[in-house]
Amino acid sequence: MQELAARIARYVDRRIPDAEDVEVEELERIHGGASRETYRLRVTFRQAGSSQQRCLILRRDPPGSLIETDRANEYRAYQAFHGTRVPVPEPLWLEEDGEWLERPFFIMEEIQDCEASPAALLLPPYAENLERIGEQKWRILGEIAGADPVDLGLCTQSELPAAESCWERELRHWEQVIDEDELCPQPIVRAAIRWLRRNPPAAAEKLCVVHGDYRTGNFLVAHDAEIRGILDWEMTHLGDPLEDLAWSINRIWCWARDDRVGGLLPRERAIAIWEEVSGLRAEPAALHWWELFSSVKAAAIWISSGREISDGRSKDPVLAFTAWWLPNAQDRVILEALGRLS
Amino acid sequence: MKPDVDRTLQLLSETLMFDLAPKLRDGYAQSTAQVVAMLLTAATEEWDRAAQRRFDENAAIRALFREALDLVAEPALRSDLETGLKTSDASIRITELERENSELRRVLVRLHAHVEELEGEAARSLEEGIWAELLESTVRRKISIAPF
Repeated sequence: MQELAARIARYVDRRIPDAEDVEVEELERIHGGASRETYRLRVTFRQAGSSQQRCLILRRDPPGSLIETDRANEYRAYQAFHGTRVPVPEPLWLEEDGEWLERPFFIMEEIQDCEASPAALLLPPYAENLERIGEQKWRILGEIAGADPVDLGLCTQSELPAAESCWERELRHWEQVIDEDELCPQPIVRAAIRWLRRNPPAAAEKLCVVHGDYRTGNFLVAHDAEIRGILDWEMTHLGDPLEDLAWSINRIWCWARDDRVGGLLPRERAIAIWEEVSGLRAEPAALHWWELFSSVKAAAIWISSGREISDGRSKDPVLAFTAWWLPNAQDRVILEALGRLS
Repeated sequence: MKPDVDRTLQLLSETLMFDLAPKLRDGYAQSTAQVVAMLLTAATEEWDRAAQRRFDENAAIRALFREALDLVAEPALRSDLETGLKTSDASIRITELERENSELRRVLVRLHAHVEELEGEAARSLEEGIWAELLESTVRRKISIAPF
């Protein structure tokens, strides 16, 4: 860890040219987004004669991860939404050259004194504010859905995908992940994929930024129950806004083990808030399609985590746990969505 | 091996979760230790049923294949159904049962897709049977710490 701290200090020294005596303190690895190694650190330095310090988060590509993602996309999403009504940490530096820390990484500001863990949110001081947290969660998602990706600088008009084919692109991608990574046959997931192909959804009402992993656990909540930062944009892409809404209300995230979606709100309330803020309609048949799709995508991620362990690309017990803990539960979510859980 | 393996795994899990993890000063190490403890809990639950659930499932899938032979005319699929029916779980080693289970479920995926395209009452009846078995397969695999 000391060597890593020294290397980070050298990098920061280069990125803040007038900084002197740059040191990295309290460097510690934290769990946060299984697709990249995440570290918390404090940088101290002297600048224009005075002492400075910044609390930062480092996200570094790991040797093996849950999701193959483009770190630049994630970084650009933080840049695009920073300073908007979608709270995100300030992104500082993206470094794709492996020379500095062996693997590409980016660094952003740390949003301090917050909690993200779904289990922690079910305890005081958050537990009595779950409804308030939920209202913010789906209001912010409505803001993401309502934002224009061209205005945000994330793409040009011509780079937007076709509204009628978003579903097909996403389904093809995640089916391919399953094809490549499955360690054993997946009869329930395969049945779901066939259903999705037989029953395609209506074209997207609009094209938007899709966070890609918008769920309880991927945002920071302060002690006053304010959501201060939306995290883990590693699967962000352009697409149908219903994709994020469906993912956010997937049964697998019902952490309170009741019918509250994301462990926070009744399903209909969450959808109503999202519709009100985004100005879009969650057409029931299309939303149902995306909900079933979200289970296929989740299954693909759980399957991939098992593949990483099985092939020896990762030794992270979290991936092993994911591969044991969630696939069968996800199968049951699929059965429920298809009316087969009784 | 005495004490029983599942009892011992549970002991290891509890020791790691409640005695050792809280004493770790590094937060990442502590939460990783807790995850390992939960893996041990899941292994405890799986230990006693691992062979039985595969054995039961293989038998249930073969029963579906037997029923399907009256309905499936497509030669390649029919041949695979017949091959599946000729197998038996002579060894109850987990690896052997698992290998057989994977083969049977691979054919089950194809059978399910095929039956969905067939018309008639017998096809619908078989399809319902497949869905019932798929539901049962999730009951066999369910672990108590799973969210759903």
